[in-house]
Amino acid sequence: MRLGSAKYLFGEGVKNVWVNRLMTIASVGVLTACMVLIGLALLISFNVDKALGNLEQQNVVMVYFNDKNSVLYGDSAPILAEGETFDAKNITDSQFLVHNKEEALSIVNEIKGMDNVADATYVSKEEALESVKKTMLEGKEQYFEFLDEDGGNPLSDGARVKLSDMATFNETVEKIKAVSGVSTVQSQGELADVINSIKSGVGMAGVWIVLILLVISLVIVSNTIRVTMYNRKLEISIMKAVGATDGFIRVPFVVEGVAIGIISAIFAETLVYFCYRIATDTIMGSLGTSTIVSFSSKALLLLGVFVAIGVFAGVFGSIVMISKYLKKEGSEFSAI
Amino acid sequence: MDLNVQQNNKGPIIEFAGVSKTYNSGTHALADVNIRISKGEFVFVVGSSGAGKSTFMKLIMREEKANSGQIKVNGFDLTKMPRKQIPMLRRTMGIVFQDFRLIPNMNVFDNVAFAMRVVGKPSRIIRKEVSKALSMVGLGHKARSMPNQLSGGEQQRVGLARALVNSPDLIIADEPTGNVDPNMSYEIVSLLSAINAKGTTILMVTHDHNLVRDFKHRVIMLDGGRIVADNAGGFEQ
Ligand SMILES: Nc1ncnc2c1ncn2[C@@H]1O[C@H](COP(=O)(O)OP(=O)(O)OP(=O)(O)O)[C@@H](O)[C@H]1O
Ligand SMILES: [Mg+2]
Repeated sequence: MRLGSAKYLFGEGVKNVWVNRLMTIASVGVLTACMVLIGLALLISFNVDKALGNLEQQNVVMVYFNDKNSVLYGDSAPILAEGETFDAKNITDSQFLVHNKEEALSIVNEIKGMDNVADATYVSKEEALESVKKTMLEGKEQYFEFLDEDGGNPLSDGARVKLSDMATFNETVEKIKAVSGVSTVQSQGELADVINSIKSGVGMAGVWIVLILLVISLVIVSNTIRVTMYNRKLEISIMKAVGATDGFIRVPFVVEGVAIGIISAIFAETLVYFCYRIATDTIMGSLGTSTIVSFSSKALLLLGVFVAIGVFAGVFGSIVMISKYLKKEGSEFSAI
Repeated sequence: MDLNVQQNNKGPIIEFAGVSKTYNSGTHALADVNIRISKGEFVFVVGSSGAGKSTFMKLIMREEKANSGQIKVNGFDLTKMPRKQIPMLRRTMGIVFQDFRLIPNMNVFDNVAFAMRVVGKPSRIIRKEVSKALSMVGLGHKARSMPNQLSGGEQQRVGLARALVNSPDLIIADEPTGNVDPNMSYEIVSLLSAINAKGTTILMVTHDHNLVRDFKHRVIMLDGGRIVADNAGGFEQ
């Protein structure tokens, strides 16, 4: 296409925006509203994600190994040969799997190598006892001195395992349980479930909101374009009569649609900024939380989303309308 | 009949073979039309209201599609041609409207230039050709006027300039004098005759018997969707 025509077509499109300004204002208004809602929905879901992310980080499972203590204190069933009976006072080495630190460390390494495991550290039964004392027995140590006697520690060797993704939390726990030498896993599977359901709930709601608003945007833009088309019936009929291609006739309308979309995107970005600032000021003021997603970190992303929606609605809204109109045979010659 | 062939030994520009057109409403607008118009001819199309004259013109510019038969215009086979080809067909013809169809907020120059702009002609050529077309219709001095500052006859001459400006092989005009007074009608047909003298084929629908009588051109008469007369040298009174 020649530069001259390109300039002409672009100019016509921009002119339409102005000539048709009442309709333009109305559709920019509605489109902006749609974008603002989408933007706020996105910001809410970013914040939910961030809040859940904080929870996830605390998500550590404790793994206990199948050692002598685990058999002795009943966490694991002893491994018995045929005809053998279990005697708590005389447990043989073959009745459990983890006998020393080397064996424990090799299991830790195996877990470390699994998918979705961020980290795994060895915790000896002595360390485990220390932490139990610190968290549960504080101030009553004198009653539990027997724990320090030889053979008085009932805890097993184990590992502290950090998972990376909540979505596959339960599967990972099952896999860890299946590792040879693992006796029990202490996890908060319910927390994972809650987090996952909140995430997918927010996600689904977001998708629906966005879809519905997109449809509204499309309808709005295509109606605006229809009004322009009606106003420019005469020009369109002459264009068709002198042999302008459908593509050429379409361009000014697409330009108009895109212009409406981009103007709306700029308004939406500004409005979302102010809405979000007011909202976060209020929330931070009352809750004192500092874990809110900052607007500036998402400003470009939001602008990108708004422009994408605007361009999408502008291009498709206008093309759908004008193509429907151009397909109709007639109207070039007969009275309009 | 033989006169035609004798008068125009150039090739055909429009050919209808067994063409019928029935609208969706069920109206049989044209029935078994066979006609051949050669390059360089001037043809009046006459007939009573509802005879099918406008339908005939719309088939030529492919605004409507025939139900049966074959239509060839300027080398395009209109019955086989895909929709995408329509703009290319239209660029070989100029169309004059009964209601002028000037864009009210554009001046005379821009109205004529519009027909070139929308088919992507460069502005240097547009300036030259628009001036030429406007002086051809005697409106060179009115280039900056707005349509509502012109008389009906002048407006139609602008319409004529617009139809001319892309140097078409064929001009089709459905009652171009329908909305102008008799004196102006003569002027417009004179202009069309002058354009025709330079080789452009002209096809014009009219109800005006005086015009048909005074300008001795070929006359095709339609009635009830059929061609009932075809006289090379005007009306046989
Ligand atoms: N778009 C249409 N849909 C249905 N019927 C139509 C359509 N256009 C024309 N007709 C019918 O077809 C017949 C021929 O119409 P056409 O317009 O070709 O006549 P015409 O000779 O141009 O008449 P006029 O001198 O009044 O302009 C008429 O009966 C008319 O009612
Ligand atoms: Mg008619």
